[in-house]
Amino acid sequence: MDFALEKDQELIKKSAREFFEKECPKDKVRELREDPKGYDPNMWKKMTSLGFLGLIIPEQYGGTEGEFIDLMLFMEEIGRNLVPSPFFSTVVLCGMPLMEFGTNEQKDTFLPEIAEKGKIWSFAQTEQLANHEPEDIKLKATLDNDEYTLNGTKLFVPYASAAKYFLVVARTSEGENPEEGITLFIVDSKTDGIETEIIPTTARDVRCEVKFTNVKVPKKNILGEPENGWKIVDYVFQNTAVLKAAEMSGGAQAAFSIVNKYAKERKQFDKPIGSLQAVQFKLVDLLTDIDELKYLVHEAAWNINAGSPSRKLNSMAKAKANAVYHDMCYHGIFLHGAIGWTEEMDIGLYHLRTRSLEFEGGGTDIHMEKIAKELESYQPDFLNLK
Amino acid sequence: MEFQFGEKEEKFRSEIREFVKDNFPPDYFGHLFDEEMDDDAWDFAMSISKKLSQKKWLTMSWPEEYGGTGASTWERVVFGEEAGYWGIPGISMGISGTAWVGPSLMLFGTKEQQDKYIPSIAAGEPDGVWCTAYSEPDSGSDLASLQTFAQKEGDEYVINGQKVWTSCAHRARWMWLACRTNAEVTKKHHGLSLFIVDMKSKGLTVNPIKNFVGGHVFNEIFFKDVRVPANNLVGEENKGWAQLMTALSFERGVAITFCGRARRIFDELLCYAKEIDIFYKPEIRQKFADLAMDLEAAKLLAYEAAWKDHMGMTVIHEPSRDKANFDILLEKLTRIGTNMLGAFSQLDPLNKDTRWTRVKGAVEHLYYYCIGMAIAAGTTFTQKTIVGQFGLQQPKSY
Repeated sequence: MDFALEKDQELIKKSAREFFEKECPKDKVRELREDPKGYDPNMWKKMTSLGFLGLIIPEQYGGTEGEFIDLMLFMEEIGRNLVPSPFFSTVVLCGMPLMEFGTNEQKDTFLPEIAEKGKIWSFAQTEQLANHEPEDIKLKATLDNDEYTLNGTKLFVPYASAAKYFLVVARTSEGENPEEGITLFIVDSKTDGIETEIIPTTARDVRCEVKFTNVKVPKKNILGEPENGWKIVDYVFQNTAVLKAAEMSGGAQAAFSIVNKYAKERKQFDKPIGSLQAVQFKLVDLLTDIDELKYLVHEAAWNINAGSPSRKLNSMAKAKANAVYHDMCYHGIFLHGAIGWTEEMDIGLYHLRTRSLEFEGGGTDIHMEKIAKELESYQPDFLNLK
Repeated sequence: MEFQFGEKEEKFRSEIREFVKDNFPPDYFGHLFDEEMDDDAWDFAMSISKKLSQKKWLTMSWPEEYGGTGASTWERVVFGEEAGYWGIPGISMGISGTAWVGPSLMLFGTKEQQDKYIPSIAAGEPDGVWCTAYSEPDSGSDLASLQTFAQKEGDEYVINGQKVWTSCAHRARWMWLACRTNAEVTKKHHGLSLFIVDMKSKGLTVNPIKNFVGGHVFNEIFFKDVRVPANNLVGEENKGWAQLMTALSFERGVAITFCGRARRIFDELLCYAKEIDIFYKPEIRQKFADLAMDLEAAKLLAYEAAWKDHMGMTVIHEPSRDKANFDILLEKLTRIGTNMLGAFSQLDPLNKDTRWTRVKGAVEHLYYYCIGMAIAAGTTFTQKTIVGQFGLQQPKSY
């Protein structure tokens, strides 16, 4: 058991934190809320040149071949500083499945573009059911002479307005089992028939509706096995659960620091409100939750890193993150009193991300059921003694 | 970063399981406070203490010169987890020879005290069974306000006063006593001292107090001119508070054992739910998932505290955080568990092993005893004041 970070992990954490503290202060976060791009291309360029986009991309494709834990720590820093950027959709939602399931040709073409040039990618999965289930995938892809035609509408597609490529989850056949008949396509965003419109969301982290009308995609742009694409979606989902949980963990830690500090400064009845047990005990509960979340995420990430991913731990990390992040933000505003409920305080900026963060990587009910599913085959130790 | 135990610890874990297999009846699961309440359980616990001592496990974390093996933090963690999981009794030599009397004597005791008291604890002998007398009728969470007084007379102290909620006093050979030796102090934390008291002393009366379920864990103790040799003073006179805080921090490090205990009850309940075929129900699945997550998270925090200790970092608020965390978690576990047992949850925990008993009686037993645990060794609220003050650096709240 070792809860400490390795030296190089410390280094990644430190350099990410310093970079975002400098490049993405809260004024910048507020400014980008009013910018329809939803990210700062200059900051993005700097992130690319510092190698952040190639963090876990293999060296042969221009990355630095970092580990999953490195990425997890990096996401904590993104969450801490509320960094609005297409990093997650580019690297986690698209880059990682390209690394895992792409052909050599696809990897040669696309990965260096991400690592070295910061080409933006977006993952198009969600439709009308908006629930991470395979039944949600209705967008049709029909094959005609080595070319597919895509028709349908995707929702909440991250940074679609800035994306160079989409990874589109499409239905290529209908069967008994909704997980079958799903295929993933790499689609150039400039292809004819694609229309993008920004959906107004509270986090302003640019979620779009993307309509595909007779969009032609060559057969070679299929990622992974045709008809068996749900496997890739699941891979992305598992990574997303842990890495979004990391982002939320970092955000919750930062929100906690803000509130813990405020409780020492704000005086009522001639004393700091932190000396009141109602306030102090709430802070203690939040601290416990935040520590729990941090280590659940670290444990899940460590298991992925060690090549023995645990679906149970991944789900625990995300379910805990959903609960803690909301709780932290709700009580963070509440403990500030009325001023917390205004635009003036930073704490509200954290709260504005609850819904986006909770949906991505799965809501609580989904993960509770996934944990229960794993418990079906769980063998208690006391039965093994006999 | 590493989230697994080493080979050495895992091997030790299997050794403990072998020990359980060899020395316990099949399906054994000891409940909290069983040994205090039941004579047969007490005898069994003492026989296990002896065996644990022979294995060198009873006081494994102690240095070799005191009968330990200088076991690592992680071996201690594994032992604590397994002891909780299997309900191994007799691990504490009363309340509590192994956890803080021995370690405190090593820190603050004289050579003579160390030689006289430590070996019998390490040997798992009846002579090494201790109770701890801190609380008084008017001094609960506000422990420093205690009034029981030890007046020095020649080479003796004469003790008068009353202690209450003293667990295990009816089993103990010795008492670890906190009392006042100086009443003329401006701050109540000053003027306190720790003493070793022979339970056979003249003028000492131990009366049982039954808890609300009818179990006998607590006692009240009256001191009427109890004479104690002056060399039974532990450490410095009037400096008892600091020593007591050190001892209390040993006491609060119980989270690891609760971790094992809670996981066992979770496991038992899960099997029960599968057996009576309710595990498919969404509301039941959701509760198990929720508990599994809580258990994993609380375990990680307990590990983190152990890790800090292992690394030689200062551990101040973490044991309190974890005690409070498990207080809350155990209550949740019993609320969910009793609900799952339905009508069977109303069985009287005083009658174990009836033909109506389900899940080894563990759930309904813990349902009542988790409240006692939440109060003992500093209530959940007291723990939170410690975390607030020392973990968060908030102003004192009381």
